[in-house]
Amino acid sequence: MYSHGADGPEQPDRAEDLRGPAERFRRTDLPLAKLWTYYYGLGGGMDEMSLDAYLHEALDVPAAQVTLIAMAMTELMEGESS
Amino acid sequence: MTNHEHGAGSFSALPQATPAPTPDLETRLKELVLDSKDVVSFLTDVALIASSRLSSPGNRIHSGVTVMRRKRPVAVASSDRAARALDELQNGFKDGPCLTALRNGTALLVPDLAEERRWAHYIKAAQENGVSSLLAVPLNLAGEAEAVLNLYSGCSNGFTDEDISDAEAFASQAASSLRLVLRIAQLSEARNDLAIAMQSRTVIDMAIGAIMAENRCSRDTAFQILTKASNSRNIKLRDVATAVISSISGEKQIDTYFDE
Repeated sequence: MYSHGADGPEQPDRAEDLRGPAERFRRTDLPLAKLWTYYYGLGGGMDEMSLDAYLHEALDVPAAQVTLIAMAMTELMEGESS
Repeated sequence: MTNHEHGAGSFSALPQATPAPTPDLETRLKELVLDSKDVVSFLTDVALIASSRLSSPGNRIHSGVTVMRRKRPVAVASSDRAARALDELQNGFKDGPCLTALRNGTALLVPDLAEERRWAHYIKAAQENGVSSLLAVPLNLAGEAEAVLNLYSGCSNGFTDEDISDAEAFASQAASSLRLVLRIAQLSEARNDLAIAMQSRTVIDMAIGAIMAENRCSRDTAFQILTKASNSRNIKLRDVATAVISSISGEKQIDTYFDE
């Protein structure tokens, strides 16, 4: 549903940036189900298993989804610290 | 366990020191599982029961439950304020009887703090707070979580062998009830998260559609516009989406209805 071609200047476009949220996730102890639910709530288009695979470097996902995953993580952490 | 009597030809002699859990307690715990509003209130009841079961005239037992949260011990429930303070005191130190009991998976008794040489700083602080003996009993939660029941007494040798096995039997029953409480709590949390996600997704999808119509653009581009606005203003995506919709129609409350 999300094409790779949709990457704009605001989207992470280097391989490093695409992996960033996955690395960040592995440094937190955020439960996968919680992240997926939140990401889904933002309009995320991947199922939980694909998200899990991405987070463990087993699947490349479109940059737009990476943006949403990163956003979900940020918003979830904000909610926790407040 | 140590002093069961042999002889009298009795082959069914159960060890005297491990009293069979009374059905009373089972019923009580079951009711607590059903009645408790959340995990903390359940654990508070557990601490209260432990305290009242083990206290005797002249030897009041203060009881607290410490739970490992993000690899850190946190005092979550207690029978009274003193127990809470003692748990917090203990958790302020890197190591102590509670964490050792958790690591070993067995109850740990310090019969007399004056004689204890381990955890010197903690022991000294606990003594200053009037503790003379303590017992830490881990709650076996089969890996779902880690929790310890901490029992404090102002008397040295404040726990008899019978108290210890009673505390262990109680802890094992409380642990299985606690697993149930945790399971229920996790499920209802997941359900609430999903309900929130449905609401949020509705608002965001609606805003995406509005942006698509306004800009005559693709869904991906609309998404990009929305996430860009959220990132640059440091506002939650959902709140940006709500603002987009209310700027168009004035609607601030977008509800998603579903049957529960």
